[in-house]
Amino acid sequence: MLIGIDVGGTYTDGVLFSRGSVVHSVKNPTNEQDLFGTLLFVLDALLARCNGERVERVVLSTTLVTNLLAAEQGERTALVLLPGAGLPYSAYRISPDTYFLKGSIDFRGREIEEPDTAEIERVLEEIDRLGIRRVAVAGKFSNRNDGHEVLVREMIRARYPHIDACTSNDVSGRLNFPRRAVTCYYTAMTMRAWSSFADGIEAAVSAKIPECDLHILKADGGTMPVETSRMRPCETVFSGPAASTMGGVALMREPLNSLVIDIGGTTSDISLLIEGQPLYASKGALIGGHLTHIHSFAVNSVPIGGDSPVVEESGSLRVGPLRYGPAACFGGNAPTVTDAFNLLLALNIGDPEASRAQLGAVAGRLSQPLGEICRGVADLVIEALGEAIQRMFRQWEDEPAYKVWEVVNRKGFVLEQVVGIGAAAPAIVPLLAKELGVKYFLHPYSPVANALGAAVARPTLAVQVHVDTQNGVYTVAPGGLSGKIKGSNYQIGDARELARHFLRKMGAERGLSDYADDAEVYLEEQFNVIRGRGLAGKLFDVGVQIAPGFIRGYDGVAR
Amino acid sequence: MKPTGVLFFPAFDWAISPAHPEREERLLYTRDQIFEEGIMDLPVIREYHPRLATAKEISRVHFCVPDVASRVTEAHLVAAGSALVMADAFMTGEVKNAFAIIRPPGHHAMTVSHGNRGFCDINNEAVMVEYLRRTYGITRIAIVDTDVHHGDGTQEIFWQDPDVLFISFHQDGRTLYPGSGFVDELGGPLAHGTTINIPMAPGTTDEGIHYILDNLVMPMLEEFEPEVVINSAGQDNHYSDPLAQMRFTAQGYALLNQKLQPDIAVLEGGYSIETALPYINMGIIMAMAGIDFSNLREPDYDPKEFRERPGNMDAIKALVREQLTNFREREAVVEGYRRKGRTVETTARTIFYDTEGIHEKQRLGFRICPDCCGFRTIASNAAHRSGRVSTVFCVSLPRACCPVCAEETRQAYEKMKGEKGYDFIYLQDRIADQFYTLDLKHGRETVV
Repeated sequence: MLIGIDVGGTYTDGVLFSRGSVVHSVKNPTNEQDLFGTLLFVLDALLARCNGERVERVVLSTTLVTNLLAAEQGERTALVLLPGAGLPYSAYRISPDTYFLKGSIDFRGREIEEPDTAEIERVLEEIDRLGIRRVAVAGKFSNRNDGHEVLVREMIRARYPHIDACTSNDVSGRLNFPRRAVTCYYTAMTMRAWSSFADGIEAAVSAKIPECDLHILKADGGTMPVETSRMRPCETVFSGPAASTMGGVALMREPLNSLVIDIGGTTSDISLLIEGQPLYASKGALIGGHLTHIHSFAVNSVPIGGDSPVVEESGSLRVGPLRYGPAACFGGNAPTVTDAFNLLLALNIGDPEASRAQLGAVAGRLSQPLGEICRGVADLVIEALGEAIQRMFRQWEDEPAYKVWEVVNRKGFVLEQVVGIGAAAPAIVPLLAKELGVKYFLHPYSPVANALGAAVARPTLAVQVHVDTQNGVYTVAPGGLSGKIKGSNYQIGDARELARHFLRKMGAERGLSDYADDAEVYLEEQFNVIRGRGLAGKLFDVGVQIAPGFIRGYDGVAR
Repeated sequence: MKPTGVLFFPAFDWAISPAHPEREERLLYTRDQIFEEGIMDLPVIREYHPRLATAKEISRVHFCVPDVASRVTEAHLVAAGSALVMADAFMTGEVKNAFAIIRPPGHHAMTVSHGNRGFCDINNEAVMVEYLRRTYGITRIAIVDTDVHHGDGTQEIFWQDPDVLFISFHQDGRTLYPGSGFVDELGGPLAHGTTINIPMAPGTTDEGIHYILDNLVMPMLEEFEPEVVINSAGQDNHYSDPLAQMRFTAQGYALLNQKLQPDIAVLEGGYSIETALPYINMGIIMAMAGIDFSNLREPDYDPKEFRERPGNMDAIKALVREQLTNFREREAVVEGYRRKGRTVETTARTIFYDTEGIHEKQRLGFRICPDCCGFRTIASNAAHRSGRVSTVFCVSLPRACCPVCAEETRQAYEKMKGEKGYDFIYLQDRIADQFYTLDLKHGRETVV
């Protein structure tokens, strides 16, 4: 049996899943002040229906870190930067406690300027004097040579053992120094809070279900063992939309160009599937106005959901954006989008008379027939969603291209179907699909697809190596490893094998060995380094990953 | 405030040959630098994606022999198309200015293209100029070519065009490819003084180039009043460039763009791929986007090493005076030619394609007209290294032609249809925006 729990902003959903069927599902309001309590309540409710069968894995998707960062409630963290030449220092407005140090590295990992240890001493003294206990260290091109970052971290560890230090290359090995700095900063800021939350959950789960794996869902739609998450709390952000997208894929399982729309109470999250595979945000997740290196699905949120109230404003109809409560047909006190669709399409959900009474009042105030009001609400909803969808198509088509091949073979996104997720999807999705001129997909499990997506998602891991044969070195990300290459005549196949080697190694450390053989190459670049008239070396960038997918044994749901 | 548009197209899968300066690696370290800096994430920058230029867009400038499809590689079509994307972004007002960091380059490609010359097949800036004219009705354009090599292709294309002010500063042609760009190359009879060359001695520094910019380039631009200013932004004046001997720095390039304020910049040459390009490209983006670039420098930069030699400064001052006079007296010279009435000026020249070893001979006819910009014909004979020879005749009708010249141009094309000895004859009708190719051997005419 598998358990998936998605702690959302309004509701926490949980499913108990076994052999293609949802055995039990739970929907419970989320108590933001006590996420731990909410989680345990849902977990207990699911375990009560296990009938003594073994639960192999629990996967959690939570908003803890997202909320900490959004509310700026992370711990005070100093950001120590080694930017060298380039953009002005004023470009790095990330932390109110930012310190700049001498020392710089270039794109080949060569040292341009040495760090000044006396300066580092002074800065650390100041940080300690201010009582700051978390430090994030980030240097430009540290992904090519993290010597300077490590030097600062080791000085902190040696002299200020009460201060925790993170380095940016350990968090992400990709190019983009500001994004690495931000990701490292957020990691340092939330590590303690996440770790203590993880302690609690881990203790509770192992007490209730011994021998059960506990995984955390990431923004990229994959899971990671709770142990790994302690070093990478930021990867848990935006896992809610990722859960929904994975749920849509899990239910649909066809290689179609699709749009997954999760229509919740107050918002709708839209993601794209290219031939059935979720599309990633090419620039990484955006948190607190900063782009990060957190691998995340491209999700567009529209502030309209099933519970969005229908109001009249200066003589015209408006929808949302706040939520006053559930739909009138489910006992709410205000007319909502769900009520309008309920009447318009004669869906007969809940108490249609309540929908009629509440929307009738709006119609009276606007002196319009009730039917027209319902039609008007539907138009507003479809229009808002349609705009967001078109924007996503454009974003995808506007992605930059760096190779002739990519430009010549560029294809537009031709939508084939709409996959509806969430409680309000059955009301809204058919009309939306009709408007877009495509078919739609709804499943009886659609309302709990988010929790189902979490329950069946497999672990993911991406490993990237950069090899510079002229200098005889390689670097590996994540984790900030490096080493010297052996032998002459190093080729792309060797770089690929190196990447696979580290993926297997890291996979084993994270308990993902089962999936290491599924790893696929997602990036392969090679450049000849020509100096004078001759070949001086080669540069390789190879990435291999266990892509988002489903755990062994998952074979779709019973229809 | 509007952002600056940037289109970065490094053509990571294209090279002239594996060890050629125009190889995959050329913009690799520039990619590393601009990605690592995260400059594309800033709200003052908007990144664009490339497109392919069409055969018609190329034909507005070039006579490709035998045709666009077989002459121009996809890489060149993407580079030219990228310049057009930047032109659209600027003209529609999405951005305040735009920079196409693209390869392959284009400024050595001339009107007739038999092959690759100076690493260029087609002229990206020229294709963009004709696109701006056709799509947005722009007339007056200034191109400032800041590549260390003379922009001989761009000069040749706009030689007879009084509405394009072409300014090229470069290392003296007696010391560097392509061996042209001297002070007396001032443009055709009816476009005299709208081609201005500024050959500089090897070793000229930031100081010398900025003197030229402040005292010659900027005043000329002010007086010419172009609707659009284009920087043909080569980066090989840099002190570390392996193919040239100048002493320009990344700071110098950034400051140049801050002063020049080009509406659209298009990358040309520059082959110091590790020591110069990453920093110059950053500098140009920063200057165009209004970002403080005082923290930008090359790893080995030492400001003390870039003082101008006094003797060279005197030569530069004399050059600036001479060219400013040529520019300011241009209308009187043109008037003198116009008074000759409707005559035809004929000249001949040879062109060498260094990349592909092609020897081309041209006979040119230029119609001088008292009422318009005139028109030109080019008879071209190209001997390829393989021994193959192609002979073509080209008739070019500019948009600004008077009805008399337009009629005469079209008749010239019709008349040539009966001539023997040519493989292809072409008519470039920019008024009708139609481009004819007649394959004489097979008697087939195609129009794009």
